[in-house]
Amino acid sequence: MAEAGHIALILALPVAVFSAVTSLVGARGGSGRILASARISAIVVFVLYTLALAIILYAFFTKDFSIRAVAEHASRDLPAVYTLSALYAGKAGSMFFWGWLISLFATWLVIQKRNNNGQGILYALAILAIIEVFYVALVAFRVNIFARHPSPPVDGFGLNPLLQNFGMLIHPPLLYLGFAGFAVVFALAMSALITRSAGNEWTIRVRHWAIFSWCTLGIGNIVGMWWSYNELGWGGYWAWDPVENAGLMPWLLGTAFLHSVAMRRQRNYLQTWSFYLIIFTFVFTLLSPFITHGGIESPLHGFYGSPFPPYILAAMLITVFGSMWLLYRRRDLEREEKPASLISREGAFLLTNVILAALVFVIFLGTVLPQVSEALGGMKIALDRGFFDRSCGPLMLILVFFMGVCPVLGWGKSTWRSAKRDFLYIMIAILVINAAIFISGIGRWYIAVVTVCGFPLFIMFQEWYRGVKSRHRTIGENWIRAFFALINGSRARYGGFLAHIGVILIALGVIASSFYSLERTATLDIGESLNIGKYEFTYQELRLKQDNVKASAVAAMLVSKNGGMAGIMYPSYDYWFSHRDHFAEVAVRTTPAEDLFVSLVWTGFNPEDKSATFRVLVNPLIVWIWVGGGFFLLGGAVAFFAEGRQLDSAEG
Amino acid sequence: MVAGLILIIVLGYLFYLSFGSSVSYYVTVSEFFARGTELHDTNLRVAGEIANNSVEWNAEDLELRFVITEGGDDMMVLYRGAKPSNFKAGSSILVEGKYYADGVFRASQLILKCPSKYESLELE
Repeated sequence: MAEAGHIALILALPVAVFSAVTSLVGARGGSGRILASARISAIVVFVLYTLALAIILYAFFTKDFSIRAVAEHASRDLPAVYTLSALYAGKAGSMFFWGWLISLFATWLVIQKRNNNGQGILYALAILAIIEVFYVALVAFRVNIFARHPSPPVDGFGLNPLLQNFGMLIHPPLLYLGFAGFAVVFALAMSALITRSAGNEWTIRVRHWAIFSWCTLGIGNIVGMWWSYNELGWGGYWAWDPVENAGLMPWLLGTAFLHSVAMRRQRNYLQTWSFYLIIFTFVFTLLSPFITHGGIESPLHGFYGSPFPPYILAAMLITVFGSMWLLYRRRDLEREEKPASLISREGAFLLTNVILAALVFVIFLGTVLPQVSEALGGMKIALDRGFFDRSCGPLMLILVFFMGVCPVLGWGKSTWRSAKRDFLYIMIAILVINAAIFISGIGRWYIAVVTVCGFPLFIMFQEWYRGVKSRHRTIGENWIRAFFALINGSRARYGGFLAHIGVILIALGVIASSFYSLERTATLDIGESLNIGKYEFTYQELRLKQDNVKASAVAAMLVSKNGGMAGIMYPSYDYWFSHRDHFAEVAVRTTPAEDLFVSLVWTGFNPEDKSATFRVLVNPLIVWIWVGGGFFLLGGAVAFFAEGRQLDSAEG
Repeated sequence: MVAGLILIIVLGYLFYLSFGSSVSYYVTVSEFFARGTELHDTNLRVAGEIANNSVEWNAEDLELRFVITEGGDDMMVLYRGAKPSNFKAGSSILVEGKYYADGVFRASQLILKCPSKYESLELE
């Protein structure tokens, strides 16, 4: 059975090569039969790949431990839902799944009816087929996911308990969806370079794919943060670990690309710049597996002993040099216009783009510098989180601020008069709130929070209000109806608004929890308590229990706020027999104002001496990070369907 | 052009500001001792393995003492704070902090790599 899967994958390799060749020949003006073979072979690759995927999934779900990948990452007691996580917990499985998504997207391009004409699609198909060849070759020959175990165990090793979490179930596939989607955007961009045509329809299609990839990648990162916060027990959600940076950098570049393409639809700016952005977005989606598979040492997580990094590095270099050569060849194409004034929407977009690129540059340097300094013969160095906080924090704040400026700036040039009309009341409102904060003495950082986050939020609400009011006045719709009609009438714009609100809420949570988090660690005996802020945590009881999988110690912590009872929290500390190791399950209690976070970090499992060590945090406004994620997803979805509708109308 | 230049200067300044206090040298235990006293009192990340029978955990005072070993050299480490859940002898560890003349490394952060037994099954 497993061998059949391997054979399907091996067969997919020559078909993918054939697909690349026929697509190229077809794009250069081949006959109808060649065009048909190009399309059909792209679908055949997908069918073979899907067959292989179905077979390996079957092996995982039936717990066939004669296959090494299954024996290493699954076990009998592993719940069925997490069997899927076990697939991409392995180094081969993750690349395998990613490659499958690319074949799926290539087929998607083929079967969309509207793509039947135009050589642009054929070049894009050829590029996707070449990428498929790369993935299939790696997972079919370098690390064979179907390989048999030399001596099949009775039970598998099991999935790391930290990965047995809903967040980890959807985090990797969301990232891979984003990465694979950006491969499609890259392929479309390169085909536009080759055919020297990037018309209106092309722009819409590229935006459509870019929004999809950008949205899934963004949500994937947020889910990763949520997992880190709820599962790892250190009380934070972002550690600037190389693996995390690897997911963030392509998203930031994709964000810049999306904004520069938004400009392109309105005006003819940023052409070459957009191409640079999409090229590097794609290259950075490759940097991500390069890092997670050990190309750059990550102290926290990653795949051990993966043989992939040299191949991925080669693919990155080929991509960079190949696409730069294409860009160089078309340098004569379109002259760039310069924005008339920096104080205009174009100017603000341009600055946003530059800051995003600068952010990626800084994060990239910070991520690779430790490795590079050693390679250059110096001592190996390490950078701590503070480096990233201090260098990226200010840049991110500027970005959030710009979100407020952009929507009201007009195309062309803005005047002081319009600026006064747009900003005056908001400035006054922010000053009043800040004065109130200052007098009440909540904390000086909240002044920065209100200024930086409140400004763009108010601007957007004001724009929204103006739009609704004018519909209400001129068309006579009632307020609620006018509100939805407004969004419906220009979904791309309001999708952007919603996504921006999401990002601002995330910024709010991040700033507040970075500056105002309280933390205490203490060892308590039963009946003892610890105080933190206005809370008191009393350690009431420790229950010891055991089943086949783990021995657990569950503590009951009575929480009181300002002397009044607020609830009971149950953090636990588990010893997993399969991994012969301890794992903590944190307890989190969420309110709109703050999170209570309790982690049981140590206890002796001793019924006589139940003393235990707790780490307790009070994290303000954390929940707004996850709420912001929801707005972000909503905004992405609204914009995505807006583009889809445009795509339909563009082709009649 | 001018804007680009300003941006580069600002970025460079930010980078410089952020860099100074954040940078630490990354060495193994034996590399550290090979350099004599050169790396005393500097920010370091030292890699080694937690030595057998060296772990003393005082839960009451939240004090963790242990020895890390690598390449035949041993280093005493003192950490104040909670004992990480996957902390045990034999694990690979990175300790972040400073080494003082009294011969004890004061760690401000412990970073545990997943134990090597995770890898033992992953034969190529």
